[in-house]
Amino acid sequence: MSVLLDVQELQTRFQVRKGYVYAVNGVSFKLEEGETLAVVGESGCGKSVTMLSLVRLLPPAASIENGKVLLRGDDLLQIDQRQLRDVRGGQIGMIFQDPMTSLNPFINIGTQMSEPLIYHRGMSKKEALARSAELLEMVGIPDGEARLREYPHQFSGGMRQRVMIAMSMSCEPAVLIADEPTTALDVTIQAQIVELVKELRDRSGVAVIWITHDLSVVAGIADRVIVMYAGYIVEEAPVDALFEDPRHPYTVGLMGALPSLEGETGTRLTTIGGSPPDLEDLPDFCPFHTRCPYSIDRCRTENPMLEPVADASDRGHRAACWVDIREVEVQSNGAGASS
Amino acid sequence: MTTQEITATGDIEIAEASRTNLWRDAVARLAANRLAVVAILPIVLLFFIAAFGPYLTPYDFLAQDFTARLASPSSEHWLGTDELGRDVFSRILYGARTAVSVGLVSTAISLIVGLVMGSLAGYLGGRVDMLVVWLTDMTRSMPALLLAIVINLTLKVPLEAWMEQMYLASKNTFFRQTMWVDLVLVFGALALIQWPGYARLIRGQILSIRSRNYVLAARALGMPTGRILTRYVIPNAMGPLIVAVSAGMGGAMVLESAFSFLGVGVQLPIPSWGKMISDGLRMWQTHPHLLVGPAVMMAVITVSFAWLGDGLNDALNPRQWGG
Repeated sequence: MSVLLDVQELQTRFQVRKGYVYAVNGVSFKLEEGETLAVVGESGCGKSVTMLSLVRLLPPAASIENGKVLLRGDDLLQIDQRQLRDVRGGQIGMIFQDPMTSLNPFINIGTQMSEPLIYHRGMSKKEALARSAELLEMVGIPDGEARLREYPHQFSGGMRQRVMIAMSMSCEPAVLIADEPTTALDVTIQAQIVELVKELRDRSGVAVIWITHDLSVVAGIADRVIVMYAGYIVEEAPVDALFEDPRHPYTVGLMGALPSLEGETGTRLTTIGGSPPDLEDLPDFCPFHTRCPYSIDRCRTENPMLEPVADASDRGHRAACWVDIREVEVQSNGAGASS
Repeated sequence: MTTQEITATGDIEIAEASRTNLWRDAVARLAANRLAVVAILPIVLLFFIAAFGPYLTPYDFLAQDFTARLASPSSEHWLGTDELGRDVFSRILYGARTAVSVGLVSTAISLIVGLVMGSLAGYLGGRVDMLVVWLTDMTRSMPALLLAIVINLTLKVPLEAWMEQMYLASKNTFFRQTMWVDLVLVFGALALIQWPGYARLIRGQILSIRSRNYVLAARALGMPTGRILTRYVIPNAMGPLIVAVSAGMGGAMVLESAFSFLGVGVQLPIPSWGKMISDGLRMWQTHPHLLVGPAVMMAVITVSFAWLGDGLNDALNPRQWGG
């Protein structure tokens, strides 16, 4: 397998009144052809900003301070606006969280879907419409040709997300970035959308980056997982290794916070105590240590690098932690012991 | 699970597939609004009169009948005559032309200025935005009538002098028609008063639409900026703008009448409803017909524009779109 996308030392920050919000702090990862990579972490951990940085779709207050985003060797942070537009939609497709507002209410579905085809593939309006009808059927919307004349308000949330998926896949991109595409949908529709993306991936061989905070979705779709915290990658592992043998205390906490159907009912759900650090004032040591039951003195002086873990079942299993958590007894379950 | 199965099991909530579009929906909603429909009639009539009034009037608006000065309404003069023996009904029809041209031209000028200033502020942001907002604030802080009076008093004499010079230089009789000076001044004053409203509306619309998800999605699909503007931003900004223009037209007509009433608007001999009302007011106790005709017209048109604007607001308000 060859490397499709190689992100190196990406740093993105937002200018605010008092200074900067450090949203992404030196994130590096690789995506291989046809691979599905899940990015998990709580709200505000930099997942979405990282992905928007890849194609430079950031709001005006944000700036990319450092790093490289190599797509098959070309640095997306260096190319000009014209080339960038060809990459967006042409090579990297994106779907977003809220399908209800992701479609232009003023143009019908057919026109909206054919625009990228006309623009990226140079199709005629007629060809583009015919292709759009096929795409609609492909994402499970029957009677595609008739529905092309309809407007977004005539589609339900799940259907709109299907349309978004069809649009982002229409120009056969090499990478599909899905930014929490199921968060705004109800559970039955969520499962359908996940199934749909899996099916399209298997059929087209597109590499997928799936951003989520839902670990159950991760288990179903991903090959590899990146766990983010406070703008850092804290753990990276193949999906099986992550679930069976998590090595970062934050990952352990996330797993522990999953509600379980086993055990007593009526008990309180487990949480990770404390709250994430202020991204305007990040410490230059481990950002998780105030919430970490395993923390040692070194956690308060030095920030750990993402390094291969000891006795890993897979070479790609890396974590950013000073402690080998398998050797430590935890006193309190998840609550910040040192805070 | 295959695609077919997904379709069969889910998406029970397929939206009702009425094959319409948003504009048609809006028209249907407008048609269902009785007040708005009632209001459309006088407005259509007004535009009709403005276009064809001179061919419909029984008398020329300047024709004086000294044998029938200040005559009460009769079969000969439907709404009577004024001090100089001119037919009031004819003058009202002519006045519609003044009202409509003032409404259209001043709204068009202020809309264009507002569009340019508002879009610049909305897109470019930063210093340009601050400058535009400061300009609108400053303009709006001045009372409209005072501003109009100042413009009229300071610009009228030099403009007339310039026209005279142009006439002497070119011998073109166009420059002899000083009524153009009045119209230009009225249009200018109204545009100056009204552009900040449009500029702010458009700025706000662009700021809000620019950050909508569908604009982000379009950018993520690699759409060029120009296309995003024309297909995503501008159409979505139209609704509130149409409402504002409808209300603004009525507002401009009322303001023009107010100017004329105070003597800084259109000057004699061009008929203007405001001027007619102000003349009629002097002798309303003895000759009420001079006041009633233009006042009723003014009231009907003002109310009609307000109702139509209201109806358009309901029909085009995105919060009421089904979703």
